Amino acid sequence: MSKEFKYIGKSVPRVDAVGKVTGQTRFITDEYLDRMIYAYPFYSDIPFGKITAIDISPAASQPGFLGVLSASDIPGQNQVGVIIEDQPLFADPLVRFIGDSIGIVVAETESAARQAARLVNIQYEEFNPIFSINDSKAATGNFIHDSNVACQHQVDKGDINTGFAAADQIIEADFKTQFQEHYYLEPQGCIAIPEENGGITIHGSIQCIYYVQKAVARVLGIPQSVVKVIQTPIGGAFGGKEDIPSELCARAALAAVKFNRPVKMVYNRRDDVQLTSKRHPFQIHFKVGVSNAGKLLAAHIRLEENSGAYATLSTVVSYRSSIHAMGPYVIPNIKVRSTAYYTNLPTTGAFRGFGSPQATFGHERMMDIIADHLGIDPVELRLKNVLRPGDLTQTAQKLEVSVGAEETITSVRDRSSWNSLRQNNQNDRRYLTGIGIAASHYGNCLGAAGWALDGAGVKIQIRRDGSVGLAYGLADMGQGALTVITQMAADALGINSQRISVLAPNTDLVPDSGPGVASRNVVMTGNAIRDAAAKLEPILKTAAAEMLGTDAESIKIENDLIFVDDVKKSDFNILADYLFVGNSQMDMLGWWHVPALEYDPVKGIGEAYFTYSYATHVAKVRVDRLTGLVFVDKIWAAHDIGKAINPAGLEGQVEGGTTQGIGWALTEQFKFDRGRVLTDNLSTYLLPTIADVGEVETILVENPEPLGPWGAKGIGEPAIIPTAAAIANAVSHAIGVQMNEIPLTPEKVLDAIEGRTH
Amino acid sequence: MKVDFILNDRPVTLAAEPGANLLELLREQGLFSVKHGCDHGECGACTVLLNDNAVNACLVLVHTVAGKRIETAEKFSDHENLHPLQEKFIESGAIQCGFCTPGMIMALEALQRKNPEPTEAAVRDALAGNLCRCTGYVKPVEAAL
Repeated sequence: MSKEFKYIGKSVPRVDAVGKVTGQTRFITDEYLDRMIYAYPFYSDIPFGKITAIDISPAASQPGFLGVLSASDIPGQNQVGVIIEDQPLFADPLVRFIGDSIGIVVAETESAARQAARLVNIQYEEFNPIFSINDSKAATGNFIHDSNVACQHQVDKGDINTGFAAADQIIEADFKTQFQEHYYLEPQGCIAIPEENGGITIHGSIQCIYYVQKAVARVLGIPQSVVKVIQTPIGGAFGGKEDIPSELCARAALAAVKFNRPVKMVYNRRDDVQLTSKRHPFQIHFKVGVSNAGKLLAAHIRLEENSGAYATLSTVVSYRSSIHAMGPYVIPNIKVRSTAYYTNLPTTGAFRGFGSPQATFGHERMMDIIADHLGIDPVELRLKNVLRPGDLTQTAQKLEVSVGAEETITSVRDRSSWNSLRQNNQNDRRYLTGIGIAASHYGNCLGAAGWALDGAGVKIQIRRDGSVGLAYGLADMGQGALTVITQMAADALGINSQRISVLAPNTDLVPDSGPGVASRNVVMTGNAIRDAAAKLEPILKTAAAEMLGTDAESIKIENDLIFVDDVKKSDFNILADYLFVGNSQMDMLGWWHVPALEYDPVKGIGEAYFTYSYATHVAKVRVDRLTGLVFVDKIWAAHDIGKAINPAGLEGQVEGGTTQGIGWALTEQFKFDRGRVLTDNLSTYLLPTIADVGEVETILVENPEPLGPWGAKGIGEPAIIPTAAAIANAVSHAIGVQMNEIPLTPEKVLDAIEGRTH
Repeated sequence: MKVDFILNDRPVTLAAEPGANLLELLREQGLFSVKHGCDHGECGACTVLLNDNAVNACLVLVHTVAGKRIETAEKFSDHENLHPLQEKFIESGAIQCGFCTPGMIMALEALQRKNPEPTEAAVRDALAGNLCRCTGYVKPVEAAL
């Protein structure tokens, strides 16, 4: 790993930067095609009930109206459930949340489609809706689906009764986390184009092109082979464009087939917030047994999730939160139950971290409560228990290498001057100050529960002129995939990065590479690049040797040049042309699949993920005694990412992730009134602005993972995972009250300071 | 309704419905650097210059721009000569998805015209109306200083 690369490990500028700074990058909203028409959904405005009548006549009289499509117009299956098949494309006859789409209106213009969609008149028989986890659990009938439990995962290791019996102290606490809206700045959108062969081409802001391919084929009742899905540049996603685009694209595709014209559908902001998924709210109970010396001995953890009306990605969130429930610590005896419950609210699904931020909020608040109880410094308590090489995780998975948890804790401790800030507050008459720490781990890629989908590919296409096209199957939603892919491919092939064009993800170019989620891109695409490059190497060297009249062993390809026994003899342009005229293979598919994982899903024991990223954040906060407002002065964020492919890009991920974490911890309060979103714009749902965010210092811990490409592990999600817990721990430290529920709104903080129970 | 104004240094006469907003009018002209993020003047993705001041195009009624100068990021987008702010956004890694980027650059351009050597506080103030959901604000501030 000590080898110096030309691109890997360097902060090279983004390859897509010019289009973005000039505003010339074409997002889906910027695309207009000849003969294009527009579709827009109409949806339930009651939270739970049965459709008794649909009257389209007020919509049909609008100028530009072309038609309405609903459940009875679906030629294939009325089903878009991504893991559990519980979600119709169009509600029929049950509606389960305000926003459950019943049909679409199609019209000549976008404004006509939106206007007409509001005029469709639906009659319902209303049922009693359920909004809370507790009401969903308590229901004895009138279930939202066959039952109100969407899914459950568990971990049972050792014997908690023995562990608790041996403990000096048993400590219990409850925690709550709230919804979070993705609020990608670019709304959901797609264009569906009918093809002469009966197939369809979809362009859109889509994280998971293969999910869309499957959904569209299924709804239209046509083979996947004639459904082509092409990703347009994505204006932010964060998980919000994982499963939702399958709904939009299938609806637009139906209209495209029916009217035989290109169909565009883009949600306006209000509907984007009401109709699409959010982060799962959790209610969490911890019971932990510890020795007086601070060793964790047993834990019983209950995680309960509000899934909304359909399961969508709840199974992933439930699985991941169960595996990460006790955090990056050694615990001999543990029982975890993680259960998602249906309610009559918009769905909760994929959102950066998939349940890990919620689980981390639980275990890291709990660690501080234990530390407080035992009179041990929070950093010391964590260091007494942290996972080190050779240790077993809570699922009894033995960790051998690339276990940087301890170093992330000690590095933020040292960089933040933890000991002095923790012991000497800087309180004054106006402000209380505090400092808090939170550590976390994150299983890379899809884990044992998603192993079947955990392969991904690239296709490297060398052209006769020496240019190289590289197709991949995941997503650049802003994080910089195009750039790191270019860096990795250039070093793998020994060529200049300017030769390489990364092509837009397209289902026709690369086999099904699973979803563009779970911080998979660097690991999966990087390893697929290594595979393709390894397969190309003998072809390139054999051709070069033939061209230069020598043997393949003496050939080296580096820096765009061809060397024979370290003497420069030719260059890549000449070699590319020689490959073509010599009828050599110039396209190469690279593939990588996560190695087999031994895991028992009934007990929740075994290799849950093939490796883990580790992160520890320290937050320093100021709390205004008069208003209850919290300001985060600084976050120190240490991340064990194996190897930084692009350090500046990594810093951007960490700065952006912590900013989202600040929002989730403090400002982003999502509110409903009987299932209707009240916070459906940015005046009421407060994203962090520049005025809410202080300094962020990123500390990269490079602890190479042998199975990662060039040692790398994922970063996208770890960036947000510990932030909110670190902030809540810092606020608790500042005000001397354990703050166990986020968001920490000024009202809540002021009540706590003034001794009112909330 | 027809409105005369100066758009990216060129005089134009454009037709619009009464009550139309500048965001939609500019996008109809193919000026796609002006992004539609929120409808409410909250996100700043549609920031343009109106007589050198940064404004949210979604909050400007078209008839009010008569006789005025409007500038969008397209003015700095010939792909050969980037604006120094654009160069610095690239160097600093201040870009992720790119949806908020043109708006941020226009907000900072307005600041620089008034204050060519702004302090960090002035930069933070100038960007207070521009939301970034991907990168946050550390690197955009670096880029502007």
